[in-house]
Amino acid sequence: MFAIAPEKLLGWTRAFRTNEAAFIPEKYAALPELGRLTGRGNTANVEVVLRHRADLIVDVGSTAPSLMSLAAQVQEQTKIPYALLDGRLDATPATLRTLGRLMGEERSAEALAGWFEAELADIKTRVSRVKASDRPRVYYGRGPAGLQTGGKGSISVEVLELLGAHNVAEEARGGLVTVSIEQVLLWNPDVILTTDPGFWKLAWQDPRWRATSAVERKRVFLSPHLPFGWFDFPPGVNRLLGAWWAGKLLYPQAFDVDLRAKVSEFHRRFYHRAPTAAQLDAMLAEPGVLPQ
Amino acid sequence: MSAPVLEARALAFGFPGRTIGRDVSLALGAGEVMCVLGPNGGGKTTLFRTLLGLLEARGGEVLLQGSGLKGLSRGEIARLVGYVPQGHTAYFAYTLRQFVLMGRTARVGAFAVPGAADRRVADHALESLGIAALADRPINEVSGGERQLALVARALAQEPRLLVMDEPTASLDFGNQVRVLERIHALASSGIAILFSSHDPDHAFLGAQRALLLGEGRVLHAGAPRDVVRADTLQQLYGVPVEVVALAGGRHACLPSLRR
Amino acid sequence: MRAAPAYVAAVGALVALTAVAFAVGRYPVSPGEIVALLGAKLTGGPSTLPANVETVILQVRGPRVLAALLVGAALAAAGTAYQGMFRNPLVSPDILGVSSGAALGAVLAIFLSLNAVMIQLFAFAGGLAAVGLVYGVGGRMRGHDPLLALVLTGVVIGTLLGSAIALLKYLADPYNQLPAITYWLLGSLASITPRDLAAAAPLALLGLAPMLLLRWRMNLLALPDDEARALGVNTARLRLLIVAAATLMTATAVAISGIIGWIGLLIPHAARLLVGPDFGRLLPLAMVLGAAFLLAVDTLGRTVATIEIPPGVLTALLGTPFFLWLFAVSRRRW
Repeated sequence: MFAIAPEKLLGWTRAFRTNEAAFIPEKYAALPELGRLTGRGNTANVEVVLRHRADLIVDVGSTAPSLMSLAAQVQEQTKIPYALLDGRLDATPATLRTLGRLMGEERSAEALAGWFEAELADIKTRVSRVKASDRPRVYYGRGPAGLQTGGKGSISVEVLELLGAHNVAEEARGGLVTVSIEQVLLWNPDVILTTDPGFWKLAWQDPRWRATSAVERKRVFLSPHLPFGWFDFPPGVNRLLGAWWAGKLLYPQAFDVDLRAKVSEFHRRFYHRAPTAAQLDAMLAEPGVLPQ
Repeated sequence: MSAPVLEARALAFGFPGRTIGRDVSLALGAGEVMCVLGPNGGGKTTLFRTLLGLLEARGGEVLLQGSGLKGLSRGEIARLVGYVPQGHTAYFAYTLRQFVLMGRTARVGAFAVPGAADRRVADHALESLGIAALADRPINEVSGGERQLALVARALAQEPRLLVMDEPTASLDFGNQVRVLERIHALASSGIAILFSSHDPDHAFLGAQRALLLGEGRVLHAGAPRDVVRADTLQQLYGVPVEVVALAGGRHACLPSLRR
Repeated sequence: MRAAPAYVAAVGALVALTAVAFAVGRYPVSPGEIVALLGAKLTGGPSTLPANVETVILQVRGPRVLAALLVGAALAAAGTAYQGMFRNPLVSPDILGVSSGAALGAVLAIFLSLNAVMIQLFAFAGGLAAVGLVYGVGGRMRGHDPLLALVLTGVVIGTLLGSAIALLKYLADPYNQLPAITYWLLGSLASITPRDLAAAAPLALLGLAPMLLLRWRMNLLALPDDEARALGVNTARLRLLIVAAATLMTATAVAISGIIGWIGLLIPHAARLLVGPDFGRLLPLAMVLGAAFLLAVDTLGRTVATIEIPPGVLTALLGTPFFLWLFAVSRRRW
């Protein structure tokens, strides 16, 4: 929503940390933290929402029946229209268009949706050019020990699925699961991706992880995280950048794009501020983000 | 003359913030048996616990074999004094043998497990009380009387010089009461000093050479039973009229005069 | 005496289970390969096995199996000691709050996004601190039965710590921290490294040693306080020592494996049904049974499916029917 019409945004669900806030124009970064209304750990007070006199509540994420009934409940309680929209990466253009319609900002929404669609199509085309045999087997490790991963269909590995990569944990259905290191050794992934800097360091030092193909071939990567997570969480539009980043890592020939240019353009359109060279460095220069 | 096994000098006893007895002095030598009589709530148990060092004395002092109680460790006290409490709630199903074996604690090292010699002492204690046949039975499956005898056996396993028994006959049937009193005789003649309390004044005559009447925390009378256990003193102690009847052969019996 | 058959059976089961645990797992390793590796290590000769197999046996399964044995034995010993000390069959090692404290420490570390080593350290420190607090506060309550004061304080502070954990879960980032917290609380032996074991083993043994040495004396804590003291035991000191030993063992176990429940509660009962309440025989048997049980449970949890089944879940699922069966067929009273 911030992307479409930032002046209509009342507040964020979580306050920005300083290094994240630098990417957003100050007057918007300074908007209040209002908390989360639904889902695990909802911290927003319904009265706060009422006090700020919101005209619309927008929730982008899972559209499962339990969340639909929750949305209906809040709408009933506050008498404020509640829009529950699909947060899957694929559904982003449609969601943007719907949101644009709701906010009366069809034009800017259409611009963003169209661009996003084109980006997704570009990615898919590049992916289709890669032979199945050239697609590496990827393990996505979460948590400080790296033993949590996403099974098939898990929102955590949407980017991997968009990229048509072989998720070694595919056989585990649904959601976030814990596996043993033995299982990972059995899978023997070619590439390891992670969002946890502690685990990224551990993978290089721990003799058990060193036994994997990925570590041997030095293909262990840490997802960037400024200003929002690029790969897994939060499950938002920023994952488009994650898709470009991971695409470049997995299929370097097919994804011969300028990552910095992609990032700049995305930020300009969606965050209303083009990052400076220094900020781009900050995003991409962390150890583990790019191949050595 | 050697120091008395147990001596109390002007002992005041009670709980933190509450003194319930004072000016108690007594002395017990080897082989002597003293019976403490007194009403419920008169302080007998509290006195005994203070004599054992389980409660801190509120004043005066207690001496064991001439040494001040305060300066003795629990182990040293346990090697001198065996305590038979007034009844025992069995939480676990220890066998009687295991139960009596616990009496050997002060005689084995801190990290040791009792050995064959200790088991022999325990078995001997069980035999001397006539409950050797129950050695392998769980303590929570024997009768109250048998449990009481097991408590005595455990105290004997400590090989003490002094036995302090708090109402040892309280839950026993007539036959067992007699048996315990007989045991007390036998133990005394083997040189062990015995201090026991009873709610039955007859036991002073049957079991003891000395009697001490404890009322409201004070020693009302102390001395030989035939001197001290009289109708007037018993009336003073219990508040009910009693007749003390002399029988043939120098024995006495206490008979309450019931008000009709 | 009659305890001998139970011991022999228990130790036999333990040895067999250990052998099986090394042999099974998601990664295919044949018994021949294990024997070959063992031979190579013993003779000092070169190993002809592929590197990955060697890694799996020595780096993955080795520490995990040993950790399961250690944690199982520690939790069972602590539970046995506490059930005797508090004279209560419903007592678990957590009665004085060690698990809650350790959990709070770990959850706090995860909340602060600290690394794995810090999570363990925080858990260990949290467990010790919680019991220290309970003992300090409970010990000050004059005019009450000392054991009752300890138990009540333990329950109260345990609840307080639990609510602090709930608060942290509430404030945690639901995408990143909350799953990590949830998994830690479910318990797992999956990420045990040889380094973890090297740090934990001496600490756990430091707790186990005094308990084993004093095991016969612990019988006296099952007696009323007056009787125990009259028999020559300084009960306050012995209790403190046992609590310190049990806390050290449990805090160490929880720090490396998370919360694994039911072992400390069920295994002492099972052992008591087999050999009776005498700690001299009970404690060693409980330790063997605890080690074997957790090893069995963990081995099952890591081989049955692609994903790991948390040991805490399996201990309850398998332990309860097993215990009920044992209770039904046993003639011995508790």
